[in-house]
This record gives sequence, C-alpha cells and structure tokens, in this order.
Amino acid sequence: MEKIKITLTINDKLREVNVAPNDTLLEVLREKFDLTGSKESCGEGVCGSCTIQMDGKPVRSCLTLALEADGCTIKTVEGLANGDQLSDLQESFINHGAVQCGFCTPGMLISADALLQNNPKPDEKTVRKALAGNICRCTGYAKIVDAVCHAGSPDNQCPDCKTGQ
Amino acid sequence: MRLPRFDYLGPDTLDAALELLATHKEEAKILAGGTDLVVRMKKGLLKPKVLISLKALNELSYIKEDGKEIKIGARTPLADIIASDLIQTQANALAQACEKVGAITLQHYRGTIGGNILQDNRCFHYNQSSFHRSGRQPCHKDGGKICYARDEADRCNSTCQSDGATALMALGAKLTLASKGSARTVNLEDFYTSDGIMPFAMESHELLKEITIPLTGAKSAYHRLAYRSAIDYPVVCAGVLLKPSDTKKEEIDDVRIVVGAMSRSPLFLAQASSSLKGKKLSDIDAFKTAADTAMNSASAFAVHNVGATLAYRCEMVAQMVFRALKEAAQAADR
Amino acid sequence: MSDYTIIGKRMPRVDSRAKVMGKARFTADLKLPGMLVGKIKRSPYAHARILNIDTSKAEALPGVKAVVTGKDTEGVKWGVFSYTRDQQFIQMEKARYIGDEVAGVAAVDEETALEALDLIEVEYEELPAVFESMEAMASQTEPIHEDFPNNINVHVNIETGEVDENFKRAHYVREDTFTAPEDSYFMAEPYAVVAKFDYDGCLEVWCPNGGPHMKSKPLSNAFKIPLHQVKIRKIAIGGAFGGRSEICPADYICALLAKKSDKPVKIEFTREENSIATRQGHAMITTHKTGVDKEGRVLARETTCYLDGGAYVSTGPIAVSVPFLSMEQVYRMESVRYNGYSLYTNKPIRGMIRTHGRCFAAGLDTQLDMIAEHLGIDPVEMRLRNVRKPGEYTNTKSLVGSCAMDETIHKAVVTSGFKDKWGKLPPFHGIGMGTNAVQVGFPMGIRGGSQSFIKFNEDGEATVMSGVVDNGQGNDNMLVQIAAEELGLLPEDIHLVSADTETTSSDPGSYSQVSTFVGGQAVQIAAKNCKQKLFEVAAKVLKVKADTLVAKNRLIFVKDTPEKSISIKKVVRISLTNFNSVNAEGGYWPKVDMKREWVSNPYGQMCEAFSFGTTIVEVKVDPETGQVEVLNATACQDVGKALNPLVLEGQFEGSIAMGGQGGMLTEYHEWKDGRCLNPTMLDYKVPLACDMPTIKNIIVESIEPLGPYGAKEAGMSIAMSAAQGYAAAVSNAIGVYMDSFPLTPDKILAAIKEKKSRPQNKES
Repeated sequence: MEKIKITLTINDKLREVNVAPNDTLLEVLREKFDLTGSKESCGEGVCGSCTIQMDGKPVRSCLTLALEADGCTIKTVEGLANGDQLSDLQESFINHGAVQCGFCTPGMLISADALLQNNPKPDEKTVRKALAGNICRCTGYAKIVDAVCHAGSPDNQCPDCKTGQ
Repeated sequence: MRLPRFDYLGPDTLDAALELLATHKEEAKILAGGTDLVVRMKKGLLKPKVLISLKALNELSYIKEDGKEIKIGARTPLADIIASDLIQTQANALAQACEKVGAITLQHYRGTIGGNILQDNRCFHYNQSSFHRSGRQPCHKDGGKICYARDEADRCNSTCQSDGATALMALGAKLTLASKGSARTVNLEDFYTSDGIMPFAMESHELLKEITIPLTGAKSAYHRLAYRSAIDYPVVCAGVLLKPSDTKKEEIDDVRIVVGAMSRSPLFLAQASSSLKGKKLSDIDAFKTAADTAMNSASAFAVHNVGATLAYRCEMVAQMVFRALKEAAQAADR
Repeated sequence: MSDYTIIGKRMPRVDSRAKVMGKARFTADLKLPGMLVGKIKRSPYAHARILNIDTSKAEALPGVKAVVTGKDTEGVKWGVFSYTRDQQFIQMEKARYIGDEVAGVAAVDEETALEALDLIEVEYEELPAVFESMEAMASQTEPIHEDFPNNINVHVNIETGEVDENFKRAHYVREDTFTAPEDSYFMAEPYAVVAKFDYDGCLEVWCPNGGPHMKSKPLSNAFKIPLHQVKIRKIAIGGAFGGRSEICPADYICALLAKKSDKPVKIEFTREENSIATRQGHAMITTHKTGVDKEGRVLARETTCYLDGGAYVSTGPIAVSVPFLSMEQVYRMESVRYNGYSLYTNKPIRGMIRTHGRCFAAGLDTQLDMIAEHLGIDPVEMRLRNVRKPGEYTNTKSLVGSCAMDETIHKAVVTSGFKDKWGKLPPFHGIGMGTNAVQVGFPMGIRGGSQSFIKFNEDGEATVMSGVVDNGQGNDNMLVQIAAEELGLLPEDIHLVSADTETTSSDPGSYSQVSTFVGGQAVQIAAKNCKQKLFEVAAKVLKVKADTLVAKNRLIFVKDTPEKSISIKKVVRISLTNFNSVNAEGGYWPKVDMKREWVSNPYGQMCEAFSFGTTIVEVKVDPETGQVEVLNATACQDVGKALNPLVLEGQFEGSIAMGGQGGMLTEYHEWKDGRCLNPTMLDYKVPLACDMPTIKNIIVESIEPLGPYGAKEAGMSIAMSAAQGYAAAVSNAIGVYMDSFPLTPDKILAAIKEKKSRPQNKES
C-alpha cells in the first residue's frame, strides 16, 4: 500500500513519517516513534487509554487516522515532563497514590492536563466529568480526582499533598 | 485492532469533496470525527474503498442564525454546540442531547453533529467483531436473512441511538444534503427509510452539509436513560418541543414529542403530541397521559437489542417523555 | 510498635514515576529484533467436533512464518491440579466454547497474520451445546467432557455439626435462592504475551501474570524442558484481580510459534479476546437455608450452590469452595452443610475474581437482614451476634487468630451515621451494611512458601530478590518498604529483582491475598538475617554487643547512645575487606494443614490469618426509573497492620468500584447461544469517575502476630463486603429484599411495582 508522508509536531519536536491510510495515530506513535506510553485497551474509543492531545485537545488516538493528524501538534504522556522534571500534575499523581497498575495513567494524565490548561483549579465535579471518558479499573477514581484537584495548588487540608516531601 | 485497507482523500473544498463523492459513490464514505465510522470499520462491518475526509473543510463548521433559522454546519464539533448560547436559549434540547454523547474528551473534536446524526443504527447482535459474527448465519444488516433480536423477523430491527437526531427531530430540524452541482433540503422526519439496514434516505453521492432549526420561540428539552453516566448510548431517550400559545398565556399551542433509541429511527409521536394542544402548561395529568400514549405508540416498534430489558425500555419511554415535557413547560412558563 | 521509619507511612509508590512518565513497559510495548506478530484462530462454535484442519493456504501466504495446530502439541493437557487436567492448549478433537483455541499463526505483520487466520480452513461438526448450569445437568446429549456425565465437574461437600437436628430446634427457619450471571475482570491491559527461544533451548516469556512460577511449570511440562530453561521475565502488569493466575493457552501457542519460526513472537489480545478467552467470573445460583434461635444466632445452615463452570475446569475446586469459606470465616454457624457444584457448560472458562460469589455473599447478608427484620433485631446487632470472634475455629477447623470484625462494624457504623439513619431515611433512600472475611492464602503444597535473597552492594545499597509479582496493586513498593525498614536504608537504596523465574525462588503468586503475608514476610526475614550480619561487623567496630544495635537512615547505631554510629556503607566495606559476604536469605512458609484438600478433605488449617471488612453504603433510588444514586460508601477493614495507608486506601476505593458500584449495579455478561454480547468496554459497564460515590476509608489494625509487622491483606475484604453493602442499601431503599444480582434499574423498578401491587402493603 502506498505510504504518504506526514508532518507532526510531537512533544515539541517536528517529525516526518510515512504512513499508510489505515494506520491509526496510536499505531504510528507506538510503532514508528516508540512512544509506547499511549496504550490500546479497548481499541474503539471507549476507555481513553490512548488519549493524546492534538492541538491542545484530548483525542482518542485509536480512532484517529494518522493522516488526519498531518500538520498537527501532538502531546503524549512522554511530553508532560520537562526532561527529568515532572509536571505538577505528574507529581500530584505520584503523591496522591493515583497510580496503581498504571495502564490507564497516561490517558488519564493527558485528559487531566487538557482540563488544567483551561481550568487550573477545577472543583471535584468538574474533574470527574472531565475524566468520564477515561476508564480506570484499579483505583475507584478517588485518588485520581484528588490528584487532579490538587495539582495546581497543594492544599494543606489534603494529607497526600505533603506525602513524600 | 487493525483497520482494513482503503484510500484516503482529503479534499480542500466542499466542491472538491462533492466531486470525489460523485466519482466514488457507494465505494466512498465520508470521514468526519470517525468515532462511529472507524469503529465499524475495525469490526469489519464496513469496508469502504475510499475515505473522503472533511478535515480541511472548516467551511462546514459553524453555528449561525438569520432571524428565522439556526444553521449548523455538519462538521461542527459537539463541544461548540454545547457551549453555544444560541443553542442553549433557542434549542436547548440539542445542547442537552450533545452533552450526553460519549464524554467530554470525545466532544471536543472527534464528535461532530453530522456524525452524530449519521451514526449507523445499532444492535448488540450486529455491532460485534467479525469473529463474533462468524459461526452463525449473517443477520439482515450483515447481508443475511435472519434477525437475532426478533424471531422470524423479515427485516432488520436495528435501533437508531442518536441523541442528536432525537433532539433535532423534536426541534423540527431540516437537513441540507449537497451533491455535485445541487443541493436539497429534507425534513429530518422524512430522512429515514424505516429500513434498519440502510436507515437514511440519502444517496451515496450526497453529503450532509447543514442542519437548520426553525426559530419559533418554543421551549425544548431532552432526557435520556443509560446504564452509565457517560460513554454510553441511550437505551431510551425523548426530545420534546413545546410552543406556548401567542394569545393565551399558560396554554399550549403545539407540541412535538420524539422518542429515540426505540426503533429504526427517532419516532415522532403525532397522537401523543396533538393530545396536548390547548392544554395548560401546568397540566401535569395531561403530560402523564401524553407520556403514556407515547409509550404505547413507541413500544410497538421496539426489540431487545441494545441492552436493558425490552419491558423496561418501553416503560421508560413514558418517564423520559414526561420529564422532558415537564422541563420544557417549566421553561416556557418562565 | 509505632517505632517504624518507613512502615505505616503514606509512602508514594516506587513504580509510579515510570508510570506517570509513560516509561513503564507493559508486554505489548516490547519490541525484540525480528519479532513476529502472532494470532490465534478460535472456534466460532460453542460445541463442535473438529473434523479437519487445513493450514496449507495459510502456510503458503508470503510473510507467514509459522502455523501451529493441536498436532504440534503432543496432546499435553493442562489443569491446576493433577486430577483436573482437562484442557489442551490447542484443541484437536473438540471445541467446547466460542473462542476455544484451534490454531495459531505467526507472520511478519498484523495484516498478514490476520489474513492467514482467515486462510486456515477448519471443518467442524456442530454438536448440541448447553449454556446454563441447570440445562447442563439435565442434558441428555453428549457431555462436554466424556468422563463427566451430566456435566457435573466438581462437587464439594462439607458438613459439620448436627445440621438436621439444629434445624428442628431452630426458632425460625427460612430458605431463599439468590442468583447472578457472569461478571468480568476487565483489567485495563488486554492480555499479551511475548515469547522467544534462545539458541540453547531456553524459553523466555513476558506476560501479565499472577505469579511467574505458576507460568513456568506448565510451560516446562508442555515443552518437556527442564524448569530452569523457562524464564518468565518481569514486566509491568495492567491488573489481574484473580484472572491471571494460571497459564493461558496463548502463552503456550506464542512459545510454540516462536519455536517453530525461530523468531520472537508477540500475541496481543483484542479486548474481546481478553473477555471471552482468558477468564470470567462464574454465574451462580445459591440457596441458603438458615435456622436461628430466638436471639438470631445461626444454629444451622444448609447452602447449595451451582456454579456455571464454563468449558474447562480451571480453578474449579477452589472456585466452588471459596464462597463457602468467606461465609464460614465471617459468620459463626453451629452447624453447616454445603454442597457446591461446578457444571461444565459451553461457555468461556471461569476463574476466581475479586468479588467471586457475589450472589452467594450478598444473598447471605440479605437473608440475615430478612431474619433480623422478622425477629425485630437491627442489622448491626444481627451481625454482632453472629460474626467471628478472635480465637475461634471455623466450621472446617481453621483457627482464627487476630480478628477485629466487631471493631470494623462499630467504626463503620459510627462514621456512616448508620444508627441515626437506619429506619429514619425518607422513602427510596436507604442504607445497608455488609460484612465479610477473606482467607490470607490457602494450602498450595510445595508452592505455598516464598523465599528471598538480599545482597549488599559495595556502595551500601541493597538488591532484593523475590518471586512476588506486582499486578498493579503495589507489591513492589511493599517489598521495598519492608526491606528498607529492616535494613535501615532509604527506599531509594533498595533495588528490586522480582517476578523473574530465573533469578527468584518460588512464590505462591499474588492471587490468594498472600503476597504481603508470605512474600513480604520472606523479604522481612531475609532482611533481618542480612542486618544481623551487618550488626556483627558493626558491633566489633563500635565495640558493643550486636543486640544493642539498630539500623536507620543508612546508619547503624547503639540504641541508647545514638551518637555511637557507623554508616551502613562503611560496615559493608569493612565486611568485604575482612573476607565476609554481606548477603542473606530468608523464607516464609505458612503453617497450614498440608492434608487439607479442596474436594477430598476440606478440613484443617486453611491459612494463618483472615482479614475482616465492613462496608456501609447509602443510596437513593429513583422510584420512577429504578436508577440508583450512591451517596456515600464507608469502607472499614481489619488489615492487621497498614504498611502503607496510601496504598491501602487505593485498594479500598478500587474495591468499592469493582465490588459495589460495578459488581452490584451494572456489571454482568449477556449471551445469545453461548456468544457473549458484551465483551467490549462499551457494552460491559465498568463504573466511571462520575458514577462513583464519596468513599470514607477506615483502617483497623488488629496486629496479626504471624504477619509481617502484623499485616494481613487488603485487596478483597472490602470488595466482597461492598457487594453485600450495596445490595443491602438498595433493598433497604425500596423495601424489597432483592435476590437477583446485579441490581439493574429494570429489576429494581419491577420490585417497586410488585410491592405496590401487593394487597397488603406491609411495612418493611
């Protein structure tokens, strides 16, 4: 099948890659760029494990053709940290115990990161709604919601904000 | 899950897209957000040779009004509709419906209003993998002659679970279908074939371009029921439009009751709707009667094919209709 | 007791940094040079004789490197027990469920592999199939397995005390039947396996697993190679919940393809395959007949349970027993008779799930509430009169050591405000409680113990080797915490080598709530032994007795004169200079009754500890739609000792989601002629963030004398009691005792209507 060259800005780096029309963005990120942080769990846009940001908005990469992303800016979980320096959100996930098996974590972080960009101090209800498209089987969501709520503003009322310090 | 092979075409203008559609006809499918189409392709339910992407056609993404109608471009993301003041004040049922589709992370970009209307009918015997569908006779929608949802049914009983279409039908919306060199407008009610296999009265060279909603000053509401609060299709839903009388305040002039997720298309229920003509906005009993009438009319069409028991879904028609009526009446009374 | 530096602290997990960076590698993320894509051909028929398999077209397809069928397997059969070997890894004669493995292919890419699957021609003769327990027993057609007439696969019979006599003298007797269809694991990570054969015949395998040593032995048997040649490697695992404890046919098929093609092979399951071709929870029908005295104390109980066991036995004998065990562990019964049956059906294979036996357990509590109501006793008192007390024996003769069951009830009652709410809530607003107990491990023969090795490196840091696997619950962190605490190091000084069969000793695995108790304890003992060696060296240097020393914060010092100290690193170097190694081993074997056997002798000490949990749930039911809004849940468990409250709370919260919100309200499988209608995440309703209630966690510490630092388990008691609590709360809200789970809105609405239509609308 004929491959078509596309250009993507992935985690701030300009990349070119040849893709087939039936390559999904998830397949290209995982296989061509070794960005295996984004996961396939359901493969049909339900679970949110493959969520990446495309031009700042959370998108299911398993339902997105790579060709549709041509020219777009892509942010994956690997792009959240600045080198070894984790983002506040990532630190918050660690300190709040929001990570168990970790398979949903990349998609969860990307959805939460997109929320926080527009709303740095979201309330609990907003967070739950923003994460409604990301399924987690381990945590019951409580610690994930806590982690997102407190990511921007460590709150002394919350015991976990100080955990690990 | 790997997608089957196809050619990808990315026209820059609507005219170019229509030209491509005229060339490829039934071998082509239009790709907007892909949330329905790509999943069906992954399951082998659909094998188009060509996908024509609307990605570059920003000209199809807008919400505007001209005093008489609201016009929405077919590729408008659901998030824009949810956030629109115009829609919230003049066509609230649509905003409510769009808010229920998928989850926030699907509404931003991938989920479009056109895609929501044109999502294929569903059935839990049909929307399965190729493996699941092998080892048994194909059903009507899969090219065979059996219906697994209703014994001995001579035709497909798949269900239209579009939230958007149910709300839009209540709002009296029209669709503009464009094709190379021409365009036509069709009432949403007339857009359905009552054939579960090919539910839309639309030619393969046509493209859904625009949705128009008449500005009537009427109030609308949408209610739905699902087993989960997000990423779930409705198992029953209802949209209503309620127009108070211009002359006699507190009296109902006209009502449109539409029930979705119960049949091959959203059902406009004429009898239930007309029963409310001339009734008071506060006449709860009349709403109850109309809701029961709606339930009786809609139940005849339903089969057990989308999760939740059939009896329950039928019963819930009345509940959803009643709640939507009450909400619209309250909005009208303000 | 609270003198710990690291134990008991809210310590963020050591594995979470890699996970939030997207750098943790799961099986599907692996890429080996020359790796092929493997796919499995599955039977589309529920019950069919395999007449012929023609693979010639598939083999001829360019890009296909290997095709395997049952002929390549030498007919080896797998079973958890020597007496339950009923499953071939690739079927040769019969397919017994939709999804049964019939062939495998390996090709250069996924498209080619999928095309090759379609080119494999299998000729079947369809046979009559059975899909329900009762239907299976009554069936006159060819049994699913020829040695099992009427498809009765496993029968567990337990009887203690004078059951019939006690029923006669009981003040009140009632009998109720409770049912639930299959539930499912839906781990976030779909199953995947990578296999590779070396030039010297060694097999390396990466896959999600509940215990690497439980994978290596069957593979060694199947390939007839020594155990040391099977190397199960450590890999990040995306959840197990009891569903990944056994060998999976895909492991074998993947290895066989790797052998035949002489290339590494990776098989990734689709979500559908993960649902239908790994394991599912059992559908069950449970009848409890209970006789009580005037005070509501249980004198006699007769329980009969039919489990829809699916096409192969899997953990059958354990699965039939465990619901009974939970019951006898949490509730005292003067006498009891249990008959549990597992039936073969032409449905997917079943396994142990975190909420195994939801209809059994929720039914039990529902019936207790019914009896309590009849006697005019409130649910709290009813439980307090019947629950387990420390120092007692269970009916099957297990001594219960630490037990703070009462305390979990009292604390959950206070925190939830149960007493102020019970009977005083507005209509359709309810509150209910569930109590449960879980066995910490069970007899596993030679694989019942765990061993650990610890070696000090010359930089003063330590490497800990342990067979314990982390499925996502935090076992790695648990091991690091224990090692750091004992050795006096910081968590970052501990380097874990675990869950690798080449470098670690046998371990029971992480599926019987035993990782901390057995595996963690082995590390604790190894660390203590290692520390003793350090102390002996340090004692000479500091010129004190070794038993006056303690280790903390990388230092060894005299307990009463802390300024007298030496760094651990220095001690290590001195030791090495004096020709002494600084390493040690330690092992832990729970003292269980090795004669206890699931079917032939279900009596004797089961395990060394039991955990106890209470969950109280408050709900509002919409009387017009039957939909349930869960307002809050209070989870309280006697965990023995909380090694890490942060991790524990995560277990409680996940348990509420899986056992209660999902397990009791939305999760079940639907079928059409043996075809699973909801194998996907769209159609199987796992709860979402916006569905979950507020959760209050209460940790109770009974300090189990036999556990590491007093710890027991935290993964299951809340999941089980949540199921019971959710059921009780809904029943309380609608005034009808529900007997069919999960409690979907249609059932709730039907119950409300039925109650309304009753001629005498009795108060409840």
